[in-house]
Amino acid sequence: MGLRSYVITRIILTIPTLLLLLTAVFVMMRILPGDPVALHFEKKATPEAMEQMRHQLGLDKPLWAQYFDYLGGIVDIGYLLQHGYPNLGKSMQVTTEDVGGQIFSAFPATLELAIYSMIIASIIGILLGVAASKSYNSVSDHLIRGFGIVTYAVPVFFLGLVLQLIFGVYLGWFRTGLRISPIVEPPAHVTGLYTIDSLLEGNFIKFVESFKSLLLPSLTLGIILSGVFIRLTRTNMLETLRLEFVTAARARGLKEDTVTFGYALRNAFLPILTMMGLQFALLLGGAILTETTFSWPGLGRYIVDRINFRDYTAIQGAVVVFGLFVTFVSLVVDLLYAYFDPRIRL
Amino acid sequence: MVLIVIILSSATMYYATTAISNISILSDQVTSLQNALNTKFASLETTLVVGTTDTVELTLDPAQAYDYFGWNIMQQIGGTLVAVNPGSATGTDFVGDLATSWNSSIDTTVWDFTLRTGVKLSDGVTLNATHIKYSFDRSIALIPSIPEGAPATANLGYDLIFNRTEVLDTYKVRFVLNFPFSPFLGILACRASGIVDPKYAPWMVQVNYTASDARASTPLASVGPYILSKWDRVAGKDQEIRLDANPDYWNAPSGYPKTKHIIFKFYSDETALRLAISAGDVDMAYRNVAANDINDLQTNPNVKVWQGGGAFIQYLCFQTKRPPFNDPRVRMAVIAALNRTAVTQTVFLGLAKPLYSIIPIGMLGHSEAFKSLGDANYTLTRSLLAQLGYDENHKLQFDLWYPTGHYQQTAEQSLLYKQALEGSGVISVNLKTADWSSYKQNRDNEIMDAYIYGWYPDYMDPDDYAFLYWAGWLHTNYSNATQVALYNQARSSANATLRIQLYGMIDNIAVQQCSVAPLFTRGAWAVTKPNVYGVYLDITEDMRYWLISK
Repeated sequence: MGLRSYVITRIILTIPTLLLLLTAVFVMMRILPGDPVALHFEKKATPEAMEQMRHQLGLDKPLWAQYFDYLGGIVDIGYLLQHGYPNLGKSMQVTTEDVGGQIFSAFPATLELAIYSMIIASIIGILLGVAASKSYNSVSDHLIRGFGIVTYAVPVFFLGLVLQLIFGVYLGWFRTGLRISPIVEPPAHVTGLYTIDSLLEGNFIKFVESFKSLLLPSLTLGIILSGVFIRLTRTNMLETLRLEFVTAARARGLKEDTVTFGYALRNAFLPILTMMGLQFALLLGGAILTETTFSWPGLGRYIVDRINFRDYTAIQGAVVVFGLFVTFVSLVVDLLYAYFDPRIRL
Repeated sequence: MVLIVIILSSATMYYATTAISNISILSDQVTSLQNALNTKFASLETTLVVGTTDTVELTLDPAQAYDYFGWNIMQQIGGTLVAVNPGSATGTDFVGDLATSWNSSIDTTVWDFTLRTGVKLSDGVTLNATHIKYSFDRSIALIPSIPEGAPATANLGYDLIFNRTEVLDTYKVRFVLNFPFSPFLGILACRASGIVDPKYAPWMVQVNYTASDARASTPLASVGPYILSKWDRVAGKDQEIRLDANPDYWNAPSGYPKTKHIIFKFYSDETALRLAISAGDVDMAYRNVAANDINDLQTNPNVKVWQGGGAFIQYLCFQTKRPPFNDPRVRMAVIAALNRTAVTQTVFLGLAKPLYSIIPIGMLGHSEAFKSLGDANYTLTRSLLAQLGYDENHKLQFDLWYPTGHYQQTAEQSLLYKQALEGSGVISVNLKTADWSSYKQNRDNEIMDAYIYGWYPDYMDPDDYAFLYWAGWLHTNYSNATQVALYNQARSSANATLRIQLYGMIDNIAVQQCSVAPLFTRGAWAVTKPNVYGVYLDITEDMRYWLISK
């Protein structure tokens, strides 16, 4: 199968996947107890007023009608072209706001956190994993494995809190929350990633201030995720280092670093790449606990908040977008396979 | 740790290398850095950064907004005819805001107000009586046009209370009410009575948040100490609100606001907020730092803790339409076994006070009526339940519900209530919880035996508390014509002594009927840096930022 056919097939397969996901969420949200209409009322919660609200939100329609209304909105190309995001309906809590707009306004914060976290996790995980495999069964191997297990097991909010206390409260080096200093105006929106936008703006202060906010949540997530990469890298490197082509490379007199990183790691990298893709896609759905711990205004906090409000449309929208992320990242990972392993022909 | 340092060093090196790749860029950066630092430190002296876990729920339209934080922002940027005097112990001593004097007819159905002269709206127009009439007429007209009503004015019953508003002359306005209503000043002081600017408050149109346009996001007339200069929301939640001193504020010649700029930053929870104030990321943390953090912070020399009264109350509702709580003796037995002091001391570490009337401590009409039932009064509990056949072998069993994520520390409270009730030896409590959405649905479906609820008043008057004994929307299915008659008599009387007596009588009936049990009233607290002054925390819990200096 050619590359183009493969990509097209993958994209087409996305549609039933998303449909299935959306249907499951649609049904589950309506099975859960709780009523989005009740949250709009307190003292004046008359049955008539609540019914009128139910009508306004479209909740008085049969379930199948609500379902197809929603699907119809998503495939509204005109809306997509006009707004730059799909029609995911109006929020049931803030009834004047589009869910699509809400999700895409929260996305840059999540994306920025995900990128930096993955960079940190990859650097720590791969370097330590390689180091452990090179010193198999030595003290440093045991220490690195121990580190990997601990970081994998430690709750993210606990590690976040510890880092906040050390680097935020006691040392005062970094900020304990938010995306930028309260007294610094965020950079003009280009990508929505403050560190990038501040550099594009040529404002070094904003870059430093946004970096001071970004570092602790990224480090927290990065350290937590690094545990998986350490173990995966170590295991795969141990297997690869035993293969004959590594011995052959050494016999040709290549430097050890070239053999390790240029030959062995490249061959051991495929499962790590898969894991990186999977983890990155998960992060794009919002790192709920990290975002909450660091008051990071991303998708994770958004989803939790909307669940509390039984904001059906918002949760459905978030799931659709999340499904798209996972599909897209999986596709990219598959394409990267071809680069890292020339034996693979898609 | 070594790795962390390596990563940090690498990142710093990378960006440093990029930055110095062009010497002219570096020179520009240094200059801009110096300028920015100078600006930053100069502005720091006149800027108060406030951290909060609150958020504007929906809008800053006085007809719509019905949440504490939204009202608090509206208080800074708008104006009402009268206001509660800062530091008030009762919440019912009023001072003029946009009005300078007022009087009412003897039967309190007609109220005349004289307006302050020379008050400028945002576009230079002078405030006059037509603005007052427009504001109230618009709010009342909006009520039937929206499914949930214009929440603020609908919930306060503006459409029932107001008959009409009349312009007497340029600076005189008259309110004619449908019935005698003595708490009227309280209504006028609340933010639902904020005066709007017709230019930004279209008739029959609710004003909502408008991205990148703070002025268009509120219909309020810019007559308060501050103007709303920035309101950023991300995904329907506040990210930053910035207030700047209003140069046209009528009280500016007296030096208000004392701090020129207020920046609100929004934290996800109490822990995050506590860390932010501890780290010095914000100048002030208000609503909410957890009560159990306050004792710790009081010993921290880097922060200052401010405490004051409050009007928030919590109470226990009973479902009276079915057993076991369809019998007032059962309800009384349960209330007698409660231990309020244990909750206020253990959970709130003394920052809350036991409440023995539905009207909070300090407010006109407050009594200690429920004290007659005692705290952890197991003798009374056992005696009452014995009459109904309950004993150690046949315990009274019921579900006690509490909501999660809505009020403070309800899980801890409920556990103590359960312990106290079961301490009687004749009660068995099954604790149940639900998130706020499900909890309200359960309330409406009347499936909860006993359930915790809270109340923060719309206006500072016993009139906005006493009705909780029989409020229909609480779905307790309790009603009492005598209490309602006393309530109506109290709200129509301007005689404070008589009102105190009437509310006392309502409380006395409540003690016999026990439809609702007052639990505690919680004060307010704020944490600031040591160089912050002028925080007034009174019964209203209103934070008046224009009085704060640093």
